[in-house]
Amino acid sequence: MGSTGPVTSLIALARAALREPFGRRARGELLYCLVGVLVGLAVLAVIVALLVPGTAESVIRAAVITAVLVPLALATGMARRLGAAHRRLAERLLGKRVAPPPPASPRPGLLGRLGAGLRDGPGWRALAYTLLKPPIAMVELYAVFLWADGLANLTYPFWWGMFRNHPPGVRLSPVLVGTPFPGRVFHVGTYPGTFLALVVGAVMVLAAPWVTRAAVSADRWLLQGLLGPGRLAERVRDLEQTRALAVDDSAALLRQVERDLHDGAQIRLATLAMHLGMAKEKLGDDGDPQDVAGARELVDAAHRGAKDALAELRDLARGIHPPVLDNGLADALATLAARSAIPVELATDIPERPTPAIETIAYFCAAELLANAAKHSLASRIDIQAAELAGMLLLTVTDDGAGAADPARGSGLAGLAQRVSTVDGRLDIVSPPGGPTRVTVELPMRA
Amino acid sequence: MRVVIAEDAALMREGLIRLLRDRGHEVCAAVADGDALLAAVAEHRPDVAVVDIRMPPTHTDEGLRAALELRRDHPGTGVLVFSQYIETRYAARLLEGGAAGVGYLLKDRVADVAEFADALARVAAGGTALDPEVVGQLLGAGRHAHGLAALTPREREVLSLMAEGRSNAGIAAALVVSGGAVEKHVASIFGKLGLPPSEGDNRRVLAVLRYLGS
Repeated sequence: MGSTGPVTSLIALARAALREPFGRRARGELLYCLVGVLVGLAVLAVIVALLVPGTAESVIRAAVITAVLVPLALATGMARRLGAAHRRLAERLLGKRVAPPPPASPRPGLLGRLGAGLRDGPGWRALAYTLLKPPIAMVELYAVFLWADGLANLTYPFWWGMFRNHPPGVRLSPVLVGTPFPGRVFHVGTYPGTFLALVVGAVMVLAAPWVTRAAVSADRWLLQGLLGPGRLAERVRDLEQTRALAVDDSAALLRQVERDLHDGAQIRLATLAMHLGMAKEKLGDDGDPQDVAGARELVDAAHRGAKDALAELRDLARGIHPPVLDNGLADALATLAARSAIPVELATDIPERPTPAIETIAYFCAAELLANAAKHSLASRIDIQAAELAGMLLLTVTDDGAGAADPARGSGLAGLAQRVSTVDGRLDIVSPPGGPTRVTVELPMRA
Repeated sequence: MRVVIAEDAALMREGLIRLLRDRGHEVCAAVADGDALLAAVAEHRPDVAVVDIRMPPTHTDEGLRAALELRRDHPGTGVLVFSQYIETRYAARLLEGGAAGVGYLLKDRVADVAEFADALARVAAGGTALDPEVVGQLLGAGRHAHGLAALTPREREVLSLMAEGRSNAGIAAALVVSGGAVEKHVASIFGKLGLPPSEGDNRRVLAVLRYLGS
């Protein structure tokens, strides 16, 4: 019984290996390799034409140099265009999306354009990709060779009978069979020998997709690094996104505060004033009160309303900024833990205080996660850990509840993740069905 | 007076019902959104509807839109819009179709029960009740600082009360002066601002508001 596990997984592995050469992914990668070989060889030809005297007609060389590469500015522009084509190719054939780099910003005039071309970082990176293409193309060429030669080897037993049914006594020279090692061949002179070719072909065809994938992986890596937006531009994009989130977030918070005031304390106070106004009428301007019982009841309602309004304003104020947070995150979390409906085990180790913005975000994360756990998890206990680790503030909230927390289902987790990302933090959720749920919030100490 | 109330905050709704019943008015229906308001008015044909501006589902201006619809479809029913903020734009939209049977008050005004009831009665009777805040914003807009500068402080007070929609008697009571004195002030104001003399409180309100808003 115990051996069925490994055996089935071995069978599954074998099945996957057999299926791989015929999958859609392998097809796309092979096509990409074919194009890559062509591009690589073309680039190589240009380089050779430029660098090795005498290998090409000097006229052609001069033409190429003057028309294409002497204005290096144009070289970066061309490399950019080639890079764009590669990005499209990768998206179409490999399903890999690489964001385009920011466009070059040429200034008017020939000199301006040349200058912009020379200072075009993404253009230079695209040029680097183009120059690195030939070595990659060699590997890609080998992959194509494995495919082609392997497939050819598979056919030997089939055409042997058609073309080699010569009368006895006639000796034909043996046929050549390719091996996975280019240049190494062996000879087959008999029909049974063709089955050896078949076996070698099968091995090559089975290996081909993996070699293809290795070549394509290297290409992908270069593609991402050299044809993408670049680290700085990507950072700018990230910052733009998170800034937009931060602005939206604060606008939403203000809107919520207005809403809470409008629907809560303001209504309570208006009603309270109305009750007092009515009571005043019942008491009359002077002399004996006209309706003491009614007035008393109204004053009572107003009194209750005033107390409710106070409680509501207090909650609202605390929701905007919990005063206990001024004493540090540890105290604030302790207050939060004490107020939780589910028992909370709290452990804090924060020797140095993070900046106020970080403390606030950490606090609201803990508050939201506690509220989530109380609402959805059916947990019986919650662990909160807050500690400084290697310059980061690590907040972990674990509950022993039902699990299956999903940020996509609008449980506030997505909003938390957004808020955390505004300060370059991260929020990780591990919540298998059946629990436990563990949410880790990682924040920088300063923001 | 027969009244329909549209207010989504239950606390305020109950308070209003009690206030109006205490004063002997009949509350035909108290609802919490615009559609229910339109249905209730169509059913009960009240003298006046009290309408909160921010109600479900969008919590923006559905009350105002319902009020405008009421003005169009049930001209016989006065509409008192009340809200926690005063927006001059909203006042302008409400007054587009004339000043008869329109009110726009801050919710805070319910604290002065008698005045609130008075304003409501005015709107029910086809008059106007504009919140002092609306009038104050119009006066403070500074568009007619030159014309208004010619008025005496007392005349400015009278102008404000006129713009709120009060009758001469109401103005006299508020300022504790005689009706004759108010009449003299009004004539002087109309003269100084160059407004044509208008008969009737509603036309007077419109004339004043048009002057302030133009």
